[in-house]
Amino acid sequence: MRKWFACAAIFAIAPAVAQTAKIYAPPKTPWGDPDLQGVWPGTDMVGTPLERPRDFGARSVLTDQEYAQRQARARNQTNIDSQETVNETTRCDPNRGGLGNTPTTCSNGVSIGPPLYWDDRGKPNRQASLIVDPPDGRIPPLTAEAQKLAADRAAARRSRPCAATAGGCHDSWEDESLWDRCITRGAVGSIVPNTYNQGNQIIQTPGYVILRNEMIHETRIIPVNGPVDGRPHAPSGIRTWMGDSRGHWENGALVVETVNFNGRDVIVGTPVSDSVRLVERFTRLGPDTLEYRLTVDDPKTWTKPWTAAFPLRRDPKYVLYEYACHEGNYYMYNALTGARKQEQK
Amino acid sequence: MNTGLALAGWALAGGAALAPLAAPARAHHAFAAEFDIGKPLRLQGVVTEMEWINPHAWIHLDVKGPDGKVTSWMVEGGSPNILLRRGFTKKSLEKGTEVVVEGYQAKNGENRANGANITFKDGKRLFLGGSSPEELPQK
Repeated sequence: MRKWFACAAIFAIAPAVAQTAKIYAPPKTPWGDPDLQGVWPGTDMVGTPLERPRDFGARSVLTDQEYAQRQARARNQTNIDSQETVNETTRCDPNRGGLGNTPTTCSNGVSIGPPLYWDDRGKPNRQASLIVDPPDGRIPPLTAEAQKLAADRAAARRSRPCAATAGGCHDSWEDESLWDRCITRGAVGSIVPNTYNQGNQIIQTPGYVILRNEMIHETRIIPVNGPVDGRPHAPSGIRTWMGDSRGHWENGALVVETVNFNGRDVIVGTPVSDSVRLVERFTRLGPDTLEYRLTVDDPKTWTKPWTAAFPLRRDPKYVLYEYACHEGNYYMYNALTGARKQEQK
Repeated sequence: MNTGLALAGWALAGGAALAPLAAPARAHHAFAAEFDIGKPLRLQGVVTEMEWINPHAWIHLDVKGPDGKVTSWMVEGGSPNILLRRGFTKKSLEKGTEVVVEGYQAKNGENRANGANITFKDGKRLFLGGSSPEELPQK
């Protein structure tokens, strides 16, 4: 019994010790705030799955063998990327991790999907999933309300004849995703590594932190007032795509709380409500590592909050290029006129 | 560009890294919406312009038909940001360069195509894929 208590005590202490061991005192800005400024791309984490395979359970770190497999897959991906334009046997194989090929989107040995080099590739690491809580690394179940909404949407989709056509429904701009429409990837989709444009930049001024995301060049200008939230959130009637953010400093970490979303965003593939509340924590773990920790709470959508965490790596050479998505978004024109042409047949 | 299935994009990336792929996922916009699977094509032409625009670059080509008639085509390319990061510059595809494009024509019947495979006349690839992945330092 005593042994058990001793063990329990050690386990209780262990996380605190681990926490202490990795404390890094970031430099300060001239006005005394922790200095998080710099360019912090998330590119390294592209390829780390959002959710963990079920058989991992609560295990969040890969074994040596699994890590070796991930390294091997990354090397193979490099080969596939460079072969994509020439290799007849690989470019239409749906099992080779390509960009959206299925047997029905390949004919004549040519993929209708884009070439593989259109995507960023990350670096192999041992993190089993970006989601760290719930402990199984998986998105919690939908609420009954959200399940019904999802079922209604699926039924509405199925009832449309266009749903059965190659390419799906493109009756109006509303059939296109927010990203396809160049509206936004949202506060979550703009920073969680996916596809390309993983650049993030932090700029600070007294009382504000500016967070720039390369994807659809989003910028949040976040009032940050000392150790506690100073300024209140905007009135609840003010609703926006990126929400209303307020920040404060907590033991050297920047904590940002964001509410007042407009209820039209899609987070990790799920349309969310206007009750979404995000809590983001930016912690410098070293000169070149900034941990990003995001908790998503939408009680109308998920049965409990979930948290993703991953490192962003400083890269002074990384340039955030403009991504003026509306500049030449021919996709919208091509998809909508293409669907009209098909209707005439 | 995404299809709204951001999760699918991650699932794809995850599948490549960890588990066998359950199903292929779309990380970019719906190419089957934009281009016609029933209209595969092979274009041999001369580059007249590289339109370096967001969200996707477009390559303009003049293609001479068997009858000698020249038609202009537009071929979709990657996002300028990633093309730059992969080493592609304005000089990579200069005006007058002869290229061969394998892809599909736009569903709307216009002279637009996706550029699944783009090679130079001598068969050399327009673009070579990424460098070997470096690994992250492990604890």
